[in-house]
Amino acid sequence: MILRTPPKKRKSEPLPAITADNQLVIYEDPNPESPHQVKADFLEALSSNEKEVDSLQSKLEQVNEEMQRKEVESKKFESRLRFVEQELAAAKGREQMLQKQYMKDVTDFQERHQKLLKDYSELEVKLKKEVNIRKNLESTATAAEEKALILEEKLQKLTEIAEREKKHLQNELSYFQNDSRLSVSKINAERELFECRAINAEKEAELFKRQLFELKNQLEECIQKKNEAENKLLSLNVPTQEPNSEGTRIRIKNLQDELRNYESEVQEARKLKSFHANAELLKEKISEERFRREQAEAELIKVQESQTKVDKLQDELMPWKSMIKEIPGAECCEDIPKKFAVMQKELVESMLKVGEVNGRLKELEITLEKALLDKQDAETQLGLAKKKEEEMFLELKRLELTVTSITGERDRLWALIATYEKEAAIAGKMDGTSGTGGADENRVKELELSLAEKEHMVSELEHSFCEQKEVIGNQHREIELLSERLNNEARRIKSLEREGYRLRSEISLLESKLGHGDYSAANTKVLRMANTLGVDNEAKQTIEALRDELQKTQARLKAVEEFKGQTDAGHLVDSSITEKLAELKKQIATLEKREERYKTVFAEKISIFRRACCALFGYKIVMDDQQRPNGIPVTFFTLHSIYAQSDDEKLEFEYESGNTNIVMNTYTSQPDIAQQMEIYVRKWNAIPAFTANLTVESFSRTTIS
Amino acid sequence: MASKTATKDVITLKGSAAIVSEFFGYAANSILYNRGVYPEECFVKVKKYGLPMLLIEDDAVKAFLACLTSQISEWLESGKLQRVVLVIMSKASSEVLERWNFNIETDNEVVEKGVSRAKSDKEIMREIQAIMRQIASSITYLPCLDEPCKGKENASLSLSLSLSLFMCCPFVSGVFDVLAYTDTDLEIPVTWMESDAKLILNPQMVKLHSFDTKIHKVDTLVSYKNDEWDEQ
Repeated sequence: MILRTPPKKRKSEPLPAITADNQLVIYEDPNPESPHQVKADFLEALSSNEKEVDSLQSKLEQVNEEMQRKEVESKKFESRLRFVEQELAAAKGREQMLQKQYMKDVTDFQERHQKLLKDYSELEVKLKKEVNIRKNLESTATAAEEKALILEEKLQKLTEIAEREKKHLQNELSYFQNDSRLSVSKINAERELFECRAINAEKEAELFKRQLFELKNQLEECIQKKNEAENKLLSLNVPTQEPNSEGTRIRIKNLQDELRNYESEVQEARKLKSFHANAELLKEKISEERFRREQAEAELIKVQESQTKVDKLQDELMPWKSMIKEIPGAECCEDIPKKFAVMQKELVESMLKVGEVNGRLKELEITLEKALLDKQDAETQLGLAKKKEEEMFLELKRLELTVTSITGERDRLWALIATYEKEAAIAGKMDGTSGTGGADENRVKELELSLAEKEHMVSELEHSFCEQKEVIGNQHREIELLSERLNNEARRIKSLEREGYRLRSEISLLESKLGHGDYSAANTKVLRMANTLGVDNEAKQTIEALRDELQKTQARLKAVEEFKGQTDAGHLVDSSITEKLAELKKQIATLEKREERYKTVFAEKISIFRRACCALFGYKIVMDDQQRPNGIPVTFFTLHSIYAQSDDEKLEFEYESGNTNIVMNTYTSQPDIAQQMEIYVRKWNAIPAFTANLTVESFSRTTIS
Repeated sequence: MASKTATKDVITLKGSAAIVSEFFGYAANSILYNRGVYPEECFVKVKKYGLPMLLIEDDAVKAFLACLTSQISEWLESGKLQRVVLVIMSKASSEVLERWNFNIETDNEVVEKGVSRAKSDKEIMREIQAIMRQIASSITYLPCLDEPCKGKENASLSLSLSLSLFMCCPFVSGVFDVLAYTDTDLEIPVTWMESDAKLILNPQMVKLHSFDTKIHKVDTLVSYKNDEWDEQ
């Protein structure tokens, strides 16, 4: 405000000191005074006015300067405003760009998320399919493995069977060879026998021939005699007409009787001849029949053996046939190893396929895990983007608020500037009023204050912005670290799950092995109780027998002691006791005699039995009871053949608790005997057959010699 | 029973061995009864583990089982016993039909250092009771072993003449044997000998409950031959 000294009040209308043209107007005082006073007053007023004008001019200049300064400041403010507006526009543009970018990112993330979800669903479907395929393959693989195991076991069994068969056949071959040799030797022996018989039969036949010849001669003689008798009869019949008919009749009768006798003798001779012939025929028939019977018996034995062999072979063939039926495409035994090889190849291929499928499954699982991880990352990034978006929205709002505050300030400033301009204009009009300087200063101060406040706000905002940036950066880093940790933990969890699954499968496998009863021979051995009950039974029986004997002996001792006590005490001896004693003694004597008689009878019977056994079976048996070092009783039997050519030709057997075993000696260690022993005793466990064979051989040897 | 100090819950190695061997004796009797290896009239009822248990009366079998349980107890105290298996076989073909497998895990620290453990007797009895109930209920899923009776008059004769190798069963065509899986360094007693494991080809297995004395842990498992009806 420019203060103006109020003009003096005049009754008349005051004339303006300064016209509109800014020219001085001469003041005409209605009350004229002296011109000198007026002049002095005028000069004073002029000087004061000049002074005022100077001051006003200086003030004006100051105001102008201030105006200029203000203008400059306003320009600055304007430029700053424009700058702020530009910044606002730039911030808006940036914000819009950021918004667009974020929208793009959001859309990208959403698209990626949708793609990931689609991929995830597809992968899940694929995984399910693969899992199903894997399960099927695993089941087929397990079935194939089981089949393979079964087939391998069968193959092993079959190979074992085949080997056993081979061995068996080889043994049989050797047996047959031996048998053939034995049969050849038998046949030779039989042939020799038959030759001897034939010789004997020939001799008998010669004897019979001679007898026959003699009989024939006798017959011829008888026939001759008969013819003579007939001739005599005929000759006698002619002279029957003679009177001595009674004598002739008698003679005829005698001759007839002689004829009859001769006829009877002839008949008897014929009968004898026929009998001899029949006997020879019968003998031949008998020998033939015997031969046939022996052949038939041998063939029967062979047939039985062959039947058993056939049965065995059929039994052995059954598994082969069943295997041929089970194995697809196999028609004969030769196809089996090929089919096995084919099946093994198929199994290997299927195992390879299973391995490949497992590998693919694992790859798929890994991709699935990666997809899940990507999904999680995308979700986290989406979350982060959303958070960023929210933060950006908040920042936008803040910026908008700042913009509104800044626009408000700008308007205020504009208003201030307008008021200032107005005031400046008014001050310019007023020309030199001093009141404008103070208003300008106040405005300047206000503007400066507001500027300082704005600058302070801007610095605070910048500071807070930097802090928030740092905070956001730290949070991003923390989020990244957490996401990495999450991923690692997820991987560890999956690996642990896999390990757990593997361990569970191992446990189930071990439990199945445990249930099956498998064990490690390095750490474990299997034991069971041996013959405890048998031993217990025997022990119990012996214990009971001993106890009974003990009780009996104790009773006897008591009786004896009582008897002794009674005698020692000097009591009268009862006659009944002596009688009892005598009776007991007699009984003892009779029992002893009886025992001796039993012994002799037993010895006789035993000797008879032994002689009968020797005669029937061809072996003298010598029995010898011994005891082993461990206390087990053993009985040794020594067999001497009656056809033995030396004392060394003896067989020794040991009999222990029901088991008979042959003992090796010089005779049995001979190759022929050892071979027979191997076949009959070791293989067939037929000691009677062995001894019978030896008997036949030794008999044939003695008869031949 | 378990050797007890003033406090009931303390269990020593000897006590635990006694508990386990006693359990095996009762379990063997229960199996012989429930599987019909011996006729019902051969058994007498007693109270044990809170249940009515059946014990065989035949002296030969009793003595056999008594000898067995005493040896098992000895081996358990030495920590050398790994498993006890009760095998039921067909008398006709000697084919293994069932294997009752009792797997034993021993706390070696107790065996080496002679320390004791603490566990409630009631809890152990409860666990054993559960196993006994499962053995009794096993007839619901195990295949039948019954075949026509061959004549009871032969029962006593065959039992008295039976060897320990095969406890001849007059009622069914089954026999039983007991196998012990031990450490290889164990000295074989006079009355025992080495044997094969008497395995079953492709068995079916059923795992039963287990009990734990804190010194010996016993797992029970029965494996049996697939019945022809089941295969069909």
